[in-house]
Amino acid sequence: MSSADERIAANVAQWTRTNRDHTDAAAAVAWQRARLLWGVFNIPDRWVGDPADLDVVELGCGTAYESAWFARNGARPVAVDPTPAQLETARRLQGETGIEFELVEAAAEDVPLPDASFDLAISEYGASLWADPERWLAEAARLLRPGGRLLFLTMSTLAHLCTPDEDETPIANRLLRSQYQPWETHWEGYAGAEFHLPHGDWIRLLRANGFRVDALEELRAPDDARTHEYYFVVPAEWARRWPGEDLWICTKKTP
Amino acid sequence: MDLHEEDSVAANVAEWTATNEEYTDAQAERAWAHPGILWGVFGIPEREIGALPGSVDGLDVVELGCGTAYFGAWLARRGARVTGVDPTPAQLATARRLMQKTRLEFPLVEAPAESVPLPDASFDLAVSEYGASLWADPYRWVPEAARLLRPGGLLVFLTNSTLVYLTAPDSVEEMVGDELLRDQFGMYRIRWDGATGIEYHLPHGAWIALLRGHGFEIEALHEPQPGASAENPGYYDFVDLDWARRWPAEEIWVARRRA
Repeated sequence: MSSADERIAANVAQWTRTNRDHTDAAAAVAWQRARLLWGVFNIPDRWVGDPADLDVVELGCGTAYESAWFARNGARPVAVDPTPAQLETARRLQGETGIEFELVEAAAEDVPLPDASFDLAISEYGASLWADPERWLAEAARLLRPGGRLLFLTMSTLAHLCTPDEDETPIANRLLRSQYQPWETHWEGYAGAEFHLPHGDWIRLLRANGFRVDALEELRAPDDARTHEYYFVVPAEWARRWPGEDLWICTKKTP
Repeated sequence: MDLHEEDSVAANVAEWTATNEEYTDAQAERAWAHPGILWGVFGIPEREIGALPGSVDGLDVVELGCGTAYFGAWLARRGARVTGVDPTPAQLATARRLMQKTRLEFPLVEAPAESVPLPDASFDLAVSEYGASLWADPYRWVPEAARLLRPGGLLVFLTNSTLVYLTAPDSVEEMVGDELLRDQFGMYRIRWDGATGIEYHLPHGAWIALLRGHGFEIEALHEPQPGASAENPGYYDFVDLDWARRWPAEEIWVARRRA
């Protein structure tokens, strides 16, 4: 097994546990959302526009609640994730709601879908945080048609710099780790890996993969948002002063 | 007077008249004579960053907030046709003195970057190194840069990083630390305690939105780290090497005007 395969296997093991502890039980509510919401503070979408008739691929879909919203609103989503347990939850919800779309068990680093077959690629705390950006951005570029858009949300660079090493500890009002370190981040007691990039590196990789950078939305937690009961590492009070999440909006350039 | 209504041009001309008397006038001869192109308070060589075009020979270049115009001088020595723009007469007088001394002459225009009396679409490259990029209102100077550039022209500017803004104590006398001392949401204009001038700081998302809104495509955001040979800043000592080797103290944006 290559180190990349081991990393993906470790992330699958982690998300199998997280699905058992949280996402399976949370899926039914998430699938019912009337609006497309982004991130742990449920920020209403202002960026996707009209989803009708779009071919959408979700990279690292987890329980696929975002794809469910797209399917309910006239788009044709295909949801991709490497964790069988989360796809099983998604399949259960498809059966309960009657909202059907294709689920593909694969890592975002290597997606078994044809070139230039989507208008929109999205990732909300999916590939954006858990997949190797050198590989998943290349895959996103390959899957999109020219002029297609990529929207992805991940933890902000600033929140990562303020994250303590200790597990289960909220982030600080203090820079705790250098920005000049490897993107691949391993946490104590957890075999998987996250990828955290400075903004300059995201811009460089996006451009190298043929994307135009349209926007970086540095998201603020709404005034009435409360700290998430499960994803509590970035408290709402912190995220009202500094962005806890970055939403990148890009377009695949026409050759 | 309310900070947001005060004329930052007048405040910044006062600040830079004093700084020129205290530091930049005496420093200008050494800066003009430097054989390299250096960025920021750690003097990071352009060859380590690659923010500028490989050759500037024959390019029409406008430097927005040129101060004593040492950056423009470096580009002029490499064949660029440079115009330096700055609102501070004292700094332009220093630049003129160096021109006479070095025989390297190019036009200087006394004007703030918010309102530049030069024609539309007349430059290939607009640069600003701690000039307009920090001291002019970005919502006014970026549109001016877009107007001055030809289609396909390049804008390259260096300013403080957002992390410096967030971690700098209120007093200009104190150095940045690791604590986040002010909110990122709402950052825009600030006058540090003990300062005369007014600075402008935007977060990355706002720079991207502003640049895109004025017809620029984002080409790069360099977040440079000082190399092994770098030394601590002497005069601009708001940050030291220990800090800057962990976090970017400065950032360089590269944006191209759509053809």
